[in-house]
Amino acid sequence: MDRLIDLLPLDYTESVVLIGAVILGVAAGVLGAFAVLRQRSLVGDALSHATLPGVCVAFIATGAKDAPTLAIGAAAAGLIGAGLILAIERTGRIRPDAAIGVVLASFFLLGIVLLTFLANYNNANQAGLDTYLFGQAAGLLKGDLEVMGALCLVSLALVTIFFRPLKAALFDISFAGSLGLPVRLLELAMTAMLVVAIVIGVRTVGAILMVAMLIVPTVTARQLTDRLSVMLALAGLVGAAVGSTGALISNSSGLPTGPVIVVVGFVVAVAAILLAPGRGVAWRAGKVLRERRRALNEGVLIDLETALHAGAPPTVDELVLTSGRSVSGVNRALRDLDRAGAIERDGDRIHLSEQGAAAVHALLHKRDLWSVWLEHGWRLELPDAREPDPRNLRQTLGDESTERLLDLAAAAGRPRGPGPDPAGEEGR
Amino acid sequence: MSDDLAIILTAGLLATACGLLGPFLVLRRQVLLSDAVSHAVLPGIVLVFLLFGSRAPLAVIVGAACFAVICVLGIEALRNTGLVHSDAAIGLVFPVLFALGVIGVTRFAGNVHLDLDSTIYGEIAFTPFRTWELFGVEVARSIPLLGAVTAINLVLLGLFWKELKAITFDPGFARVNGLRPVLISRLLLIAVAVTAVTAFESVGAILVVTMLIVPAAASYLLTVRLLPMVAVSVAIGWVSAVGGYGSAVALDASIGGAMGLVAAACFALALLFAPRYGRVTRLVRRARRRGGARLPVQG
Repeated sequence: MDRLIDLLPLDYTESVVLIGAVILGVAAGVLGAFAVLRQRSLVGDALSHATLPGVCVAFIATGAKDAPTLAIGAAAAGLIGAGLILAIERTGRIRPDAAIGVVLASFFLLGIVLLTFLANYNNANQAGLDTYLFGQAAGLLKGDLEVMGALCLVSLALVTIFFRPLKAALFDISFAGSLGLPVRLLELAMTAMLVVAIVIGVRTVGAILMVAMLIVPTVTARQLTDRLSVMLALAGLVGAAVGSTGALISNSSGLPTGPVIVVVGFVVAVAAILLAPGRGVAWRAGKVLRERRRALNEGVLIDLETALHAGAPPTVDELVLTSGRSVSGVNRALRDLDRAGAIERDGDRIHLSEQGAAAVHALLHKRDLWSVWLEHGWRLELPDAREPDPRNLRQTLGDESTERLLDLAAAAGRPRGPGPDPAGEEGR
Repeated sequence: MSDDLAIILTAGLLATACGLLGPFLVLRRQVLLSDAVSHAVLPGIVLVFLLFGSRAPLAVIVGAACFAVICVLGIEALRNTGLVHSDAAIGLVFPVLFALGVIGVTRFAGNVHLDLDSTIYGEIAFTPFRTWELFGVEVARSIPLLGAVTAINLVLLGLFWKELKAITFDPGFARVNGLRPVLISRLLLIAVAVTAVTAFESVGAILVVTMLIVPAAASYLLTVRLLPMVAVSVAIGWVSAVGGYGSAVALDASIGGAMGLVAAACFALALLFAPRYGRVTRLVRRARRRGGARLPVQG
């Protein structure tokens, strides 16, 4: 640990805070995931408040203020709190959120009563116990780091060893039970992991902000992957990144460490929720926009084909009039089509280019095939159930089934389409 | 007015204000939202102080209520993405608002009278010393303030009793009948925030949260109907106020802490011995029933 502190190009206190923040981030990320994924993340809120009386009792009982003693006290109180939450829920009438709230409030008040009790007895040594509340990263010592690091390593090792049973219990507790796994023990283990993460972190960021540290990495990592193993690793990384970034920003700006780490974490989590590929809010909105644009372009292309069928090449105004679309929409679609080389302009009149004609042909074919599917698809026996995609039915059904569908339609008296399907040939 | 009386009255008014709202939070499963809101108002208090340099109760209450609304809207926005469960959404939003508040305090208001301890713990023991003169009588400031909040909550419940009942027990029915469930539930949370903020400086956040949650949860174990539940929760609040003050004086402990612990003890008693839902009562009843079932066989 000494060598690690020396290695960093920072002064002693700053290095200690930085290492502490990284350990906290990794532990909270990996261990917090098991609470967040079970939708019990606010248990973390209650348990981090519940550490306060534990710390006080440990201090009263031993008179010592070193890191291991206080950590043991905090952990014991956290476990008792977790047990009480479960016990209150088991009685049936009180729902989980109320159980969490009751335990949070009463443990925390007990802690405050004990603190004032200590203060009244004028024990000068007790100063600093209340850093457990708001956290005080600057007060971290090398001894704290060693305890935190050891706890973190042991719990990560345990998670790796017992990964499979934990995973089973996490996603489907009754399935885990049916496999003969010790379900109660696994639930207890997951709660104990949460307590460990809290004990590691609460000194640094404080009880209230600890909740965010448990949640941020998992929420972020969850947006980026669907696999638990990858997600746990990512959550650890995100936690470490958030912790170190926050610690560095707080070093250079002189702002308190815990709050800065939490704000950084929140920004990261919201960024992931917005931008995650395939899931993020902005990503989905972009996809909807692209789809709309594609639909508009195709529609205008078909309108143009219809107009050309009816008579002379239309002007933009005529096209707007016959298609019933908005002027801006038609103009934008024409710009796109122009760029794609699908249309040619002859003065203010618009033609289809050769490429455009082929595109319209393919498009009409696709639409034709879709209406055949709507009319006759129910008679088609498919080897499996699948969701047909109106944009490309041939691809979803496969060539063989598509041909059978067309045969069915022909047998029912529908004329087969206008010649071979160009998209079908290109598609192969 | 004697100091004892001022403290007990303050706590009793707090118990009434919270006891009126708490049952709805418990029934609507929004208990932790109240905890979140009461933390999330901190930046509002700080901002008002930075902008206007005042801790005047009204300005602070308005600023805090704004942040309570921001907190609730933020949680809803996150939940509506469908990517985050509601518990995680709560746990993401309120710590960050609280963190902003802490940063504001340490950065800009470090050397003025706005320390974290007084907003979070408050100290009910000091209430008799902050006084206002009303009609020529000197009263502790917290009494008219909390009295006003209690009155507001009473009016809110009186005006919207039917609506609150409907959105609590059957939100779908409420929506179909045009009772504006979203609006009413937001009003409820704003009332919670206003209650919390008003009480902050006199009694501290944690006692407010306790008084909102614990008496209502205990009352839920004791009652079946809504009106009795509200009444019992107010009553438990008063018991904890009086009992807490007595035991705090006897043991020379933190007054707010003792009041909260008495409330917690009431909850524990209700959990074990409530006539209908208590753990022990049910065990006894089951044992008796088993005994009863065996009798005819033996006879």
